[in-house]
Amino acid sequence: MEKTIIIQRYNPEQDQAPSAERYQVPFDHSTSVLDALLYIQQQLDPTLAFRWSCRMAICGSCGVMVNKIPKLGCKTFLRDYPAELTISALDHFPIEKDLISDMAVFLDHLQAVKPYLINDSKNTEPHRQTPAQLKKYQKFSSCINCGLCYAACPQFGLNPEFLGPAAIVTAQRYNLDSRDQGKAQRMPQLNGKNGVWACTFVGFCADVCPKHLDPAAAVNQGKVASATDMLISIFKP
Amino acid sequence: MPDSAGARRPYLQPLSRSWWLKHSFFLRYMLREATVLPLLFFCGCLLAGLYSLSQGESQYQSWLAFMAQPWVIALNALVLLASFYHAKTFFELFPRVMPLLPAPLMIAGQWLGTIAVALLLLWLFGAIG
Repeated sequence: MEKTIIIQRYNPEQDQAPSAERYQVPFDHSTSVLDALLYIQQQLDPTLAFRWSCRMAICGSCGVMVNKIPKLGCKTFLRDYPAELTISALDHFPIEKDLISDMAVFLDHLQAVKPYLINDSKNTEPHRQTPAQLKKYQKFSSCINCGLCYAACPQFGLNPEFLGPAAIVTAQRYNLDSRDQGKAQRMPQLNGKNGVWACTFVGFCADVCPKHLDPAAAVNQGKVASATDMLISIFKP
Repeated sequence: MPDSAGARRPYLQPLSRSWWLKHSFFLRYMLREATVLPLLFFCGCLLAGLYSLSQGESQYQSWLAFMAQPWVIALNALVLLASFYHAKTFFELFPRVMPLLPAPLMIAGQWLGTIAVALLLLWLFGAIG
């Protein structure tokens, strides 16, 4: 059994824009899109460039567009598609070569929200946390930084300065952590014009998230946090 | 001449004006946002009605006649449908923004609230009971 894989190829040394190339790939029930890409690279065309690492939806490296929907190659299977499928680099990011995107903008945004525990206390004891305190942020803590939500977000496509879903999820994840004291340092980023308010709740990020952590909910809960933060700052002497 | 910085030539993907036609998810989103357009017509009707009321009975009667025309009724029926669609999407998004209770409970609660308010208004204006 074979399927036709159409890949948008781009060679920065020769091409002005990506163009489609077709490959015939054998498949069975367990063949993932990543398996198909590896088959093409190893058997048909060694010049095909793409990122991958863990093959188990943990590393977040193999994000591509499959039939215009952002997907992890390792978590998407040929059996679920008709005889032809089209694969291209993630939307909204510059394409370095073939399926490899330049994720630098996303990483800058992630860094801007200080995605780590900030705690000034000199206490060296372990920070105890109750199951209820854990539950507050746990659902936002499984982000693997794959960038699929950025490829799904038309607001990020229109304005690359928008912090974007994963960075805001991560800011929320630390803001809601009882061990963290860095909320005041993160709120200016979230309150700004490229923060939570640039989101119009298209909600597609939540559909494509391979970890099902609903970035759209996190961003819009961030609006509640941002409004509260503003009200408090008005009435604070 | 070898130049590691110069060898990079990333392709910037343009975002076309028709991005929202790309698949059904974006289409449904744009439909949700577009529900405001018929609603504008309804608001215009309502404001015209209030204004005509201040202008005396004959003005008000001619506004009533305007509202009874088939195309106005058809447009306002569209307004109602659009509002229901917007309500449906809004009610489903709300529990994700403020997760106070399990989502199905919150969605059912909002619809029950809508029905209760509608019944109250119908009763106030004498359409029922």
